[in-house]
Amino acid sequence: MIAYLIDGPLWYFSLAVFCIGVLWHLARIIFTRGRTDLSVARGSAGGGAIRNVFSRFIPHREIASQIGLPVVAGYMFHLGLFAVLFFAAPHVIFLEENLLGFGWTPMPHWAFIVASQFAFFGLILLWLRRMLTSVGRLISTTDDHVAAILTFVVMLTGCLALLKGFPELRLLHRFTVELLLIYFPFSCLMHTFTFIPSRAFTGAWFGRRGIDA
Amino acid sequence: MVGHFSKQIIYEAVKLSIILLLAVCVTLPEVASANAPRQQKDFPQGVSAVSPGSDLWRDVRQRDLPLQGAVPLQGVTQVQGVESGVLINAQGDRWARFRTENPVRYAPMALLGVISILVLFYAMRGKVGIDGGLSGRMVKRFTDYERIVHWTLAIVFLWLALTGLILLLGRTLLIPLFGHHVFSLLASASKEGHNLIGPIFLVSLVMMVISFARRNIYEKGDLTWLLKGGGFIGKGHVSGGFFNMGEKSWYWMVILIGFAISISGLILVMPSLGQGRVIMAISHVVHVFGAIVLIAVSLGHMYMGSIGTEGSIEAMKSGYVDINWVEAHHDRWAKQVKENNLILSAEDFARLQGRKFDPADTVTEQS
Repeated sequence: MIAYLIDGPLWYFSLAVFCIGVLWHLARIIFTRGRTDLSVARGSAGGGAIRNVFSRFIPHREIASQIGLPVVAGYMFHLGLFAVLFFAAPHVIFLEENLLGFGWTPMPHWAFIVASQFAFFGLILLWLRRMLTSVGRLISTTDDHVAAILTFVVMLTGCLALLKGFPELRLLHRFTVELLLIYFPFSCLMHTFTFIPSRAFTGAWFGRRGIDA
Repeated sequence: MVGHFSKQIIYEAVKLSIILLLAVCVTLPEVASANAPRQQKDFPQGVSAVSPGSDLWRDVRQRDLPLQGAVPLQGVTQVQGVESGVLINAQGDRWARFRTENPVRYAPMALLGVISILVLFYAMRGKVGIDGGLSGRMVKRFTDYERIVHWTLAIVFLWLALTGLILLLGRTLLIPLFGHHVFSLLASASKEGHNLIGPIFLVSLVMMVISFARRNIYEKGDLTWLLKGGGFIGKGHVSGGFFNMGEKSWYWMVILIGFAISISGLILVMPSLGQGRVIMAISHVVHVFGAIVLIAVSLGHMYMGSIGTEGSIEAMKSGYVDINWVEAHHDRWAKQVKENNLILSAEDFARLQGRKFDPADTVTEQS
């Protein structure tokens, strides 16, 4: 019964909430009309947008030494998670058989393990920094903690189910994924989709005003 | 004449054959009964005969021979690979027996023993307080980075301890409680979780060395701390620097045993690197005993850093400690702190923590 629920109705429900929620959220951002900028353009908005999207991948030289840990841990976590999510063999097979109808070459098992370790290590460091630094603690919301813990639990249950010998462990992993999918559109996890438009918007505004930032 | 002779030979041959046949018929049941189990109940159901190759395999196994160094008896083969010439590694039996008879038996005793001592100590001594109580005036002890390194190592260590103990003791302790299926599920999950997170412990350990090693080098005065039992035996506090000898010894124990556990763990988790089964067995013993020692001592560390000593947990929570705590436990460091005027007022500390200052929350100073 529980297996049927997790593999069937709850999976489709969570997928629907995720897709509709993300699309609704993005549409709301795109179609929101901001104030028209009446100032004389001093530079290219498009150039500023593109420049800002890429320049923000590297920290500013002035503060690089102070934010070394979150930058390194951030890259470890995000790149590790991306690799595991889209190139781990079980995920590629799952996407091919259940969603897309086509697959791609997965990464070898050792690379999967290393990527998982990077993701785990990065997330632990980032969450501890959030908890242990006074500024990090003050600017963190409940949403930030729930998102971090839920992501960690999803990764952990996935790692526990690696041996594929027990359907209960696979179901536990899938259940936590479904919880994450339902939570995703209403949380800070939306930055997965909004960080590029957000950077582009800010960069365009800077570019038009001639701000070199 | 020749024909008669031939008939005689044939007659004699037939007669001899009949006699032999009769003899075989008479003796065969005896031979069979000699080879058959003497008592059927000595053998498992379905097995009706002693293996005719048992002597051969006994010779191959060489179990009863004395140890030939650490290397099992090797034969000759064209198969290329580590220990491919070893048909049966008899020492594997010794290792399996050792594992069952020693760590599985003594690990729970060691851990329960330490827990009992701590409970007893707490019941007798209670929380070790600070003369004069907490003042609310704080001194920075650890940076954000140092605390992140400490807690990363602590979280990873606790996870590895939990999953490792399930793997080591689960068969004995969990099967009677939850049954075979739940145990096998837990064991499978623990194995994967243990192996995947394990290397992060090694990296955390390296970060720990880089962050803390310099301040943990032994110095003059540390031995006095040891001789006075760290102040826990008898009354009064013992002189200490930034770290006292107990803290330094725990640190080096974590580093040295931690590296031993990590390296032996890597040897175990990557069996195809060319190490033989003997190296694997030795690594397993080092891994298990190192882990048990570290887990047992870590219980003491956790006790001392939290409910055992007043004001200690704040060092790893906020990175700051009360000046009275510093004077009580690390008087030589307290002298440096005062000379360099590094003491924060309670108001400044609250502001740094993003809190509104409330004297009632921080000051417990006794007159």
